[in-house]
Amino acid sequence: MQGPLIDTLVRQGVSRRTFLKYCATLASMMALPPTAGRAMAEAMAASRRPSVIWLPFQECTGCTESITRSHSPTIEGMIFDMISLDYQETLMAAAGFQAEEALHNAMKDNFGKYLLIIDGSIPLGVDGAYSCIAGRSNLDLLKDAAKGAAAIVAMGSCASYGGIPKANPNPTGAVSVSDIIKDKPIVNIPGCPPIPVVMTGVLAHYLTFGSLPELDDKGRPKAFYGETIHDRCYRRPFYDQGKFAKTFDDEGARNGWCLFELGCKGPVTYNACATTKWNGGTSWPVESGHGCLGCSEPDFWDAGSFYKALSTPANPLKLAATATVVGAAAGVAVSFANRAKKDAAKKAHQPVTLADLEK
Amino acid sequence: MSASLDKVTQTLKEVIDAPIASYFESCVHCGLCAEACLFYTETGDPKYTPIHKVEPLRRVYEQEYTLLGRLKKMVGLSKPITHEELDQWQELVYDSCTLCGRCSLICPVGNDITYMVRKFREGMAVSGHVPDGIRGATKRTVEIGGPMGLKWPAVANVLKKAEEATGLPIPVDQAGVDYLVLLSSMEIVNYPEYIEALAKIFNKAGISFTLASDAFEATNAGIQIGASDIAKVIVTRIVDAAERLKVKYVLSPECGHAYTAIRWEGPNLIGRPYQFEVVHVLELLDGLRQKGVLKVKNKFKDPLILHDPCQIVRRGGVLQAPEALIREVAENFIPVADQQKWNWCCGGGGGASAIHTETAEALRAKVFQIKKRQIEDAGVGTMVTFCANCRIVMEEALDHYEMNTKLLGLTELLAEHLED
Repeated sequence: MQGPLIDTLVRQGVSRRTFLKYCATLASMMALPPTAGRAMAEAMAASRRPSVIWLPFQECTGCTESITRSHSPTIEGMIFDMISLDYQETLMAAAGFQAEEALHNAMKDNFGKYLLIIDGSIPLGVDGAYSCIAGRSNLDLLKDAAKGAAAIVAMGSCASYGGIPKANPNPTGAVSVSDIIKDKPIVNIPGCPPIPVVMTGVLAHYLTFGSLPELDDKGRPKAFYGETIHDRCYRRPFYDQGKFAKTFDDEGARNGWCLFELGCKGPVTYNACATTKWNGGTSWPVESGHGCLGCSEPDFWDAGSFYKALSTPANPLKLAATATVVGAAAGVAVSFANRAKKDAAKKAHQPVTLADLEK
Repeated sequence: MSASLDKVTQTLKEVIDAPIASYFESCVHCGLCAEACLFYTETGDPKYTPIHKVEPLRRVYEQEYTLLGRLKKMVGLSKPITHEELDQWQELVYDSCTLCGRCSLICPVGNDITYMVRKFREGMAVSGHVPDGIRGATKRTVEIGGPMGLKWPAVANVLKKAEEATGLPIPVDQAGVDYLVLLSSMEIVNYPEYIEALAKIFNKAGISFTLASDAFEATNAGIQIGASDIAKVIVTRIVDAAERLKVKYVLSPECGHAYTAIRWEGPNLIGRPYQFEVVHVLELLDGLRQKGVLKVKNKFKDPLILHDPCQIVRRGGVLQAPEALIREVAENFIPVADQQKWNWCCGGGGGASAIHTETAEALRAKVFQIKKRQIEDAGVGTMVTFCANCRIVMEEALDHYEMNTKLLGLTELLAEHLED
């Protein structure tokens, strides 16, 4: 599995054309100019396996599953395979001291150049004893690994914001990567789990341009987290018409109406599910009939019931109708008042004479 | 002093109507009206932006008729108008606005700014914030009969001379004729040849006409000063005379503001339709031309341009007749870039020509530069117009710039070249 990426891809039955198409799609998803697709393809195809170290902390392996356990081998998966993943407990064949040695070698050989991927939160309670690898706490490992990293990718909601481990009452004292590391560029790719293409998109950007994509105020790539689920939701027209499913088996639910009243967190959740979908574009939660949980938002676990509506939805039509009536009434009232005023002025009219023209 | 300020707001409250309210609401502050105003283009001073000239009116509208304005007035954010302010605005409303209507024509949202200025003058007039010249003209019109203080005996004398010159009778106070002929004092005094021309043309066309000894004056200073009550008194004289003499038509003279006064403002002032029709002399002449009555010999040869008086053409709607008539009589008519409804004002309309302060006269001379350029660009030695007021104003300006451009009245030019 050495040599340029494209050779490996070809060996696996991915044509150059398919790869180019994939890169163009990726570029457009990330709102990059059209020429970036080719640049990306060229950079990635020729890429000599950048060293990546993946450290799993207090996590459930769901993030790894999301990326690697696709139903059929995806290009995302293959690209992921093609990087020099020097340390990934779940995926690596080595174990024990051998594995630790691989980690140390990778950190030493690629010091300052490797990409560090973290999934899982970092427990600070009991001196970090809640999660240890080879006798070292996650905190210790993170600080050590971060020193030589070119950039850090916080993979999933746990690494990005603390996630489920941090949920009230946060027994392990879990924190996010950015709570601890302050001196390295960090990309947060929240989601429980995150969308695979977001991960590869960030990787592709890094490989192509040697930099991280543009981030928002929560450290997320703007290209994927720029809009809410709600804004891009195919059920949005029903929301605008005031058509809501009231239970999961009523007519509204069967008609595919908006799930807002069933607790959908789409309006406050920034993610790309509504556009990229899941499982190779098969479907996504809202399409399957369940509201968005808001899993890519900080503290989503503690944001009230998943089935409690965000707030009583404003009925835009009713509101507009009321506003119109109120406005019209005010208009009529003002007009009557003005009419009265003008009539009074007319009644009080004193014929203008030549004497008036004098100052 | 405060009593008359009350009178101002009271009057403005009265004149603000639905059109004015909608004009203020729809103004988008684009400033296009500035470029339409010769007082702005020739001075470059933004205070001459037409819509700015009605700023106090806008404030009264806002303070009295809008919710926000009332609130602003209550908390002192919007100040009431003051005498000092009106003093300051007098120049903008009278000296530097000739009610020429070019701003109204150019306004992209269709605001009739000229109408607003005209209404704003009502408030200025009741508080005496008016130029002495127009006040004097108004007084003379009401008390004596015309803005120049002419009395009937003097007019009768001019008519007698015209009869002698033409050898044609000029009937006075004759009932049952077709036309009641109105004159403007300026014609009587400065251009009596207009009367002679009319007599000739009527004779040629076989139309009966008369003058009225108690209603010869067509101009209406009450409209220019902005006092509708006074304007009504003045216009009523004509209406009474015309209806007493049972004429079919009242013939407005060439004078522009006279035409506006009798044709457009008159029925609104008296509050009912006339029992006669008002016709501008050029409309009559063009009708005769179309009938073939008006036959011209030895066409006028010198190259000339036409000055379209604002109140007759742009504001008055006599759009086609002037050019058709000038082409009938002149061989070398040269159209200018801004002609017909786009023509530039002479600078002295709307009563401005009656203001004889030094600053007003200097301003009039300055804004005449736009006409000067028109004349020079066309390279002509003759300009024809059909408004006695335009003619006087432009003659003064030509004198000021020492230009030897010849100014002619269209009706006279036609009469001179009529076939015998």
